[in-house]
Amino acid sequence: MSEIVRSIYAHVPFCHTICGYCDFYSEVLDRNAVTPLVDALIAELDAYAVATSIAADTIFVGGGTPTTLPAVELRRLLTRLAQCANSEASLEFTSEANPATVTPEIADALVAGGVNRVSIGAQSFDKSELRVLERIHHPPQVAQTVATCRAAGVDAISLDLIFGVPGQSMNAWLSNLQAALALEPDHLSCYGLTYERGTPLFDQLATGVVTRVESELEAEMFEATIDTLAAHGFDQYEISNFAKPGRECRHNLRYWRNEPYLGIGPSAAGFVDGVRYKNVPDTAAYVRASRLGQSARISEERLDAAARSRETMMLELRLREGVARGRFADRFGADPAALFRDAINRHLSLGLLEVDAGAVRLTRAGQLVADSVIADFI
Amino acid sequence: MDQSRIRNFSIIAHIDHGKSTLADRLLQRSGAISERQMREQTLDDMELERERGITIKASAVSVDMPVDGVSYMFNLIDTPGHVDFHYEVSRALAACDGALLVVDATQGVQAQTVANAYAAVENDLHIIPVVNKIDLPGARPEDTALEIEHVLGIPVDDVQFVSAKSGDGIEEMCRSIVKLIPPPSGDRAGHLQGLVFDAVYDEYRGVVCFTRISQGRIRKGQKILLMGRERQYVVTELGKMRPGRVVVDSLAAGEAGYFVASIKTLADVTVGDTVTDALNPAAEPMPGYDPPKQVVFCDFYPAGGEEYDELRDALSRLSLNDASFTFQPQSSDALGFGFRCGFLGLLHMDIVQERLERECGVDVVQTAPSVTYEAQLTSGEVVRVEAAGDLPSIDKIAELREPIIETQIITPAESVGSIMKLADQRRGIFKKQEYLSPQRVMLTYEFPFNEILYDFYDRLKSVTRGYGTMDYHVIGFRTSDLVKMDILVNGKAVDALSVILHRSTADRRGRKILTRLRQEIARHLFEIPLQAAIGSRVIARETIKPLRKNVTAKCYGGDVTRKRKLLEKQKAGKKRMKTIGNVDIPQKAFMAVLEPED
Ligand SMILES: Nc1nc2c(ncn2[C@@H]2O[C@H](COP(=O)(O)OP(=O)(O)OP(=O)(O)O)[C@@H](O)[C@H]2O)c(=O)[nH]1
Ligand code: SF4
Ligand SMILES: [Mg+2]
Repeated sequence: MSEIVRSIYAHVPFCHTICGYCDFYSEVLDRNAVTPLVDALIAELDAYAVATSIAADTIFVGGGTPTTLPAVELRRLLTRLAQCANSEASLEFTSEANPATVTPEIADALVAGGVNRVSIGAQSFDKSELRVLERIHHPPQVAQTVATCRAAGVDAISLDLIFGVPGQSMNAWLSNLQAALALEPDHLSCYGLTYERGTPLFDQLATGVVTRVESELEAEMFEATIDTLAAHGFDQYEISNFAKPGRECRHNLRYWRNEPYLGIGPSAAGFVDGVRYKNVPDTAAYVRASRLGQSARISEERLDAAARSRETMMLELRLREGVARGRFADRFGADPAALFRDAINRHLSLGLLEVDAGAVRLTRAGQLVADSVIADFI
Repeated sequence: MDQSRIRNFSIIAHIDHGKSTLADRLLQRSGAISERQMREQTLDDMELERERGITIKASAVSVDMPVDGVSYMFNLIDTPGHVDFHYEVSRALAACDGALLVVDATQGVQAQTVANAYAAVENDLHIIPVVNKIDLPGARPEDTALEIEHVLGIPVDDVQFVSAKSGDGIEEMCRSIVKLIPPPSGDRAGHLQGLVFDAVYDEYRGVVCFTRISQGRIRKGQKILLMGRERQYVVTELGKMRPGRVVVDSLAAGEAGYFVASIKTLADVTVGDTVTDALNPAAEPMPGYDPPKQVVFCDFYPAGGEEYDELRDALSRLSLNDASFTFQPQSSDALGFGFRCGFLGLLHMDIVQERLERECGVDVVQTAPSVTYEAQLTSGEVVRVEAAGDLPSIDKIAELREPIIETQIITPAESVGSIMKLADQRRGIFKKQEYLSPQRVMLTYEFPFNEILYDFYDRLKSVTRGYGTMDYHVIGFRTSDLVKMDILVNGKAVDALSVILHRSTADRRGRKILTRLRQEIARHLFEIPLQAAIGSRVIARETIKPLRKNVTAKCYGGDVTRKRKLLEKQKAGKKRMKTIGNVDIPQKAFMAVLEPED
């Protein structure tokens, strides 16, 4: 008897241009590729619907930029996804969007397709920073996009921001935060810029065209973010994610709580029936496999309980609530505080972790070096 | 072949003066190698030699050489020029009757020209000076010839002017070889006596020994005796290097070649050993070689920790092929079980390490090289100290001595001032200054070896704008104000990082080492104090600040596997380091003591 899947991720691998830091699988939009892609996405979902029991209460369309799709095709995809919803529960249905891609027509398609939450890739409100990141939009377009979405009836707005952009000062970052807050979003994701191998920005760093922001400054920016947003009523419920009460992204919480989800589309990752899989990161190959009735998966791994328990630590430690000892014990038959005693003690003494009756969690200092701490649980 | 038509000689020179290229011309002229197979420096057949463009190992080859209508056999040995491989030269010379001393006409006599010429003289060899590269625009053949006469006392009459590149003058040079180098003597009817001047290990045949027969004859099927270890074998294969192995039935006095005799144990052959007939042995072994003196030591540890056996096998195999390095078991708190290895110099150490990794496929972690010290104990006993960790406790030591080298530096006259300044900084003692010509000077200095080991040569090159060359040899030990400096990482002394040095340099070196360590050791989750200490007195300190931020924000669209793999990779990187007192120390940090002076 397979477990019930309550979350779906769908990947739309198109953007108008590719940003210099981008490490997601995405291609420049090719209009002729759209219909075959949407057909293939729907076919993949259809196939899962037969074999798996799906009763979604979160759906997330990401990319790429889903809002590059023509309204008709976007709506066709969303409508099919919405059919997987669990009618007895409230649905969180998110679409990513980029400023300058959301026309009123697209916004209407989103809402008509069932979307009630839009996550906008604002990244920055500063022209020169946007240029370094090779983003195509202009600062004022973020506000316009927010307004368009709200006008169409979107319930929740989230903004993505990046700090630690080459050349950025603390003040510049704080003004970005203020500009974002002025738009009264329900949710904010604030990421430190990462230089991923294989991206143009990585090469620019290697060749000295851009310079990395001092790690001390980046740390201060991160701490300032937590404090500023707290002062404005945002809860840091995950290392990089902040929400007004009750406005947390339930979909992302699924990932962090290490619960199952379906992933469809090129490069999408999924976790179903204890198997982690990844689809081929190539649209043409994905569409071709779909036509031939073949699987789109390029890799699969089945984790044993021990590996799953370590992964749970890796994921849940990122949450402010931490690793819930009770839930962990129910799943893996042992208290995490006992299972990982050495690692926990080491970080307790360094002040990076805290443990109480309910949970094991990162301290503020621990959050700053979360990867180093978490690596000890893997 | 009749002995009167054989010539045995070595080609010797300063680095890059064109020995191997000259050997090419001889191979080409003899027809030993077809035009098609011909490549530059054919005898440099080791991958490393080709990559670095230098000769590391001497190569012997036998070629038929027609000279004025008469066919001769030339047994020639191409030798390396670098000072570290001087031992290869002395071995080659012991198997020869003459030597071609090659001098680059654009460079003139250089430090290793002098050193190698003296070595040939010591072996009573007839030297033919060969002025090479006369095709180059900057060539000064006549001046170079005069320098040879003036500095080395070799008469100019016999000088050959050649271009090993174009082949000019090679004909005439071959005539001189025939005329001036004496044919080998040695009674072919006498008891077999041959010098094993080299050996290599071959997976299929066992040990292959290279020999020059000086008396009697060696035959296939013959029962032979290696006089060093007194072991007997039966010859299963005999041959000559032309330059590929070509099988023959026998080798007679005056000839050179190789033999295989199912010698399985590497330890049974010592280069310099004498091969003789087991039933009718020669009365005496040949003089053989003085064992090479290793002057630089460092430890090799298997990188994986578990491959101790493989490392030992690889070292034994390599040590047969390169008789000039030594190894013995060693262990360290920090690095576990490994081997203390001795070398003739830093380049030699580098080469051995690279050959281990390439030819034997073992990865090694290496500690910083050190010279050998001598400690006179209060009990009167004298012990050798090859690493700071071996130093007996201070209350047992009456006196510490450091190795002293004598060096010849050849330089343009205008650089003498800067060299003297450099020598001062390195505790050098001036001995002598001689003019080779109005523009060029040979300086003789004595230095504590550890002052010139790491970067002296680079500094010399830079103060002489590339023109200075040097040769050196160890002349003995001298009492010195030496101290042991410990390096503490997070409060714990790391044995593999301790150094012995002169008290006057301790503060400066201590600070340098710590600066370098701070760069090599990654930030940790906690603050790491670094200290340099002499006894209990801390002379320098540094701190590695704790890691401030290490958090990748993205969750990669739910691609948890990717996230986990990234963290796993981060962790695997840690495994390749040595963890000492909670601190992960990368391999490179162990070389921190080599931080050059400025
Ligand atoms: N123009 C010119 N170049 C030469 C001549 N002989 C050698 N060379 C060049 O000089 C360089 C060094 O030549 P090698 O034959 O490798 O010198 P070597 O003495 O064997 O060097 P080591 O074995 O490293 O000591 C090479 O680049 C040769 O091509 C010559 O007669 N004329
Ligand atoms: S918009 Fe997003 S997905 Fe598209 S290229 Fe830029 S960063 Fe990548
Ligand atoms: Mg050579």
